Formats: sequence, C-alpha cells, structure tokens
Amino acid sequence: MIKKRLAKWMFGSTLVLSVLMPVMAFAEEAQAAAGPTAWQTDVGKAMAAGLAMGLSALGAGYAQAKIGSAGAGTLAERPEVSIWIITLQALPEIIVLLGFVSAILISG
Amino acid sequence: MSPTTAPRTAEPGISYTEYGYTNARLRGMRARLLKRDRLEQFAEFPDLHQLIQELMQTEYAPDLEEALIHGRTAAEVGEALRLNLVRTYRKVFGFMNGEAAEICGVILGRWDIFNIKTVLRGKNAHLSNDEIAEGLLPVGALSQADLDGLVRQPDVRAVVNTATTWGLPEAPALREGLVEFQRTGELSDMELALDRHFAERAEKELAHGNRNHQMARRILGIQVDIQNLLMVFRVARANLDASQAQRYFLPGGVDLTVETYGKLAALSDVDEILDGLRGTRFGPVLEEVATAYLESQSIATFERALEDYLTRKVIAMGGTDPLGVGIPLAYLWSKLNEVTNLRIIAKGIAMGVPTERLKRELILV
Repeated sequence: MIKKRLAKWMFGSTLVLSVLMPVMAFAEEAQAAAGPTAWQTDVGKAMAAGLAMGLSALGAGYAQAKIGSAGAGTLAERPEVSIWIITLQALPEIIVLLGFVSAILISG
Repeated sequence: MSPTTAPRTAEPGISYTEYGYTNARLRGMRARLLKRDRLEQFAEFPDLHQLIQELMQTEYAPDLEEALIHGRTAAEVGEALRLNLVRTYRKVFGFMNGEAAEICGVILGRWDIFNIKTVLRGKNAHLSNDEIAEGLLPVGALSQADLDGLVRQPDVRAVVNTATTWGLPEAPALREGLVEFQRTGELSDMELALDRHFAERAEKELAHGNRNHQMARRILGIQVDIQNLLMVFRVARANLDASQAQRYFLPGGVDLTVETYGKLAALSDVDEILDGLRGTRFGPVLEEVATAYLESQSIATFERALEDYLTRKVIAMGGTDPLGVGIPLAYLWSKLNEVTNLRIIAKGIAMGVPTERLKRELILV
C-alpha cells in the first residue's frame, strides 16, 4: 500500500518537474540578465521564513506526537516519572524556537 | 463458536502499528516484575506463611486476597498466581496495538493446544474436573469459561464433539485423531494432530509481513524445533524405528530439518543424539544438563533446559527493537516465567524441598 502510494507520488513529481524545469530554466536565464526586483526579494524572504517556521513546527509536532504516546503509556504504569515525561514532551519545542529565530533572521 | 472465544482485536483508537504507547507501558510494567535476588530470597523462606506475607507487598496482593478465602495452602497461592497471570495478560491485550495483538495471539495459541491436551489427558485418565482445571492456564484465545465448558464434558469423545459444535479452529485436528483414539485408546495421534495444526496455522498466519512477523516466526520455529528434539529423545527411549519416528515430525522448525530429524531419530542412544547435536544451537544447552540427565534418567531434564533456552531467547528479543513486537513478547514471557517460578517456590516450600534444590529449579533471567 505504502509502496504503491510512494510510486504514484514519485511518478507525479517527476511529471511536474519535467514540465516545470525547462520553464524555470528559461525564466532563470532572463532573470540573470536583469537581477531580482525588490518585490521578488521580499516574496522570496517571506517564503523562506514561512518554510523555516512551518517545517520546524511540523517536525516538533511529529516528535511531540511520538513522545506523547510513549509518555502516556509510561505514565499509565509509572506516574512517579511524570516530571521526566513533561520535560521530554517539552524538548521538541526547542526546534520550533530555532525555526522561529531562523525565520526572524531571514525576514529581518 | 462459543460466545467467549472471540479473536483478539486492537482497542479502537490505537493505530495498528503504533508501538510507542504499547511498548512504553509494557516497559513500565516490566519494571515492576520481581527481580532475580527477590525470587532467590523467596526460595529461602522457611514456610508458606512468610511467602504469602511478602507477596502481599507486591501486585499479587488483590489476587491473593481473593484466593486465600478458601485456605492458605500452596494450591490457593497457585490459584492466586494463575488469576494474576490471566488478569495481566487480559490487561496487556487490552492496550496492545493491532499488530502486536495479532502476533502475540498467534504465539499464545500454543496455550490453547496445551489446555485442550490437558483436558483430553485428564478425561482419558478419569481425573476429577477440579484436578483437570488446576492444570489449565487460560491465556490463549480460549477463555476460562470455554475451558470450564470443555472440562465439564464426560469423556474425550464429548470434548471433541463440543469443540466441533463451538467451531473451534482445533476441531478438525481433534476429529482427525478421534478415529485412532477410539481404535487404540491412545491420545498420541490426537495430540500430534493438534501440534501439527497449531504449527501449520501459526506459520500461515505469520507467513507474510514485516520484521515483527519474522521475529515471531523465529520464536515459533524454535518452539517447533524443541518439540521435534524432545520427540527424538522419546523415540530413542521407546526404541521406535526411524520410519515410525518420521510420523511425529512437525514442520516449521528453523534448525532441525526433516533430514536432521530422521538422522537423529535413527540413533539408538541419548549420548549419540547429544553428539549429533554438536554444532547446532541446542548442542551447548543440552550438554550442560547431560550430567543431570544421567542422574535423573528423565527427559524432563532436557525439556526444562530447552524451555529455559527459549525463555532466555525471547526475553533477549525484547532488547532488540524499542518499537517492535519484541518488547510485548518478552514481557508476556517474563511474566509467565515469574509466575512459574513463584508456583515452584510455593509448592517447594510447602513440600519442604531444600533451598538449594529449589533455587536450581528456578529459571532466573
């Protein structure tokens, strides 16, 4: 099932890239001659900052989901280790903070 | 099928392969299992009263309170341990993810075979229902109510008929062996059919899948090898010829092929079999207890050593993959081993077995 989905995804992305690549190459050539305009720089920065923040938040969310389910399992049997679990649960927040700082540095 | 014999399924809300919650919880439960030195300390107690007092400080307390209403003998302690084991297994299956529940259910299917065999042997030997019930361990798919239903049957034929009426998966194997049983009065064919049915069914259910299924297949294979090996020793003791021995071969082992089995079964003496096993994984295990066998002249010595080997192997699998089925399997085995050790201690103390001998009987991992 997963293999089938992966194959479909790879086929789709190859198709999209094969159409986009020549267009992008052509646009790049034209751009190189003129250099980026101010609005293009702003848009690029905003996109990069958004990606830095968004992807780090997704990563932290994934990590917290995994830690959360394992933590819930541990707490069900050993409530005395709750402080450790809360600490571990909070650790991935650092990834989001780093993403946030990166986003500010990019957009600033 | 009887209403209580439902296949095990995952709790709604737990993802099929989400091992994080299951394994973390089982690790927490494993931390509460009795340690080796505690069990050794229990074996040194002079009387059952002290053992009960110590066990009341552990998680066995509620089950002991329930069982000790009827008396304070080793039988009641054994009943409390059995209650605790069944309750713990039920709890574990209640929170396991789907894949782990399926795999562990297949592996624990051997207890259904063990229980059915116990009922058949009890009926054939005309034991009382209470005596038969004492030897049962309802940790497989057959519940206590199902087993009680089978125990209440008057004879072997009625047990087979009840299993058929309920539509138990073991019913065809029982019917297959019934013909020979009615002719000879021997249960060996019925037992062989049951073992073969379990090995084939489990192998089929675990045939395809990921590394977790492979791990379960390995355990199953070692179990089958052990059964075949014990059969080789029995054949040698009974002086059966190799062609007769081939009938008792179970397929699905990992190390013991049908050719190796045939060669070993053709040997006439236990020493030769031990020599023949040199170089296999079972060689060193059996060599270690060869002297004990010479003293006791009982195949139970080898049976115990091989069971010990399997227990250690499965528990070691629990340390391989933190997000795999090894941890659930290792926990189920560790818990069963703990209960077995406690039962040995309780019975040993009640019978006045010397401490050193009692300690030798325990499987401490």
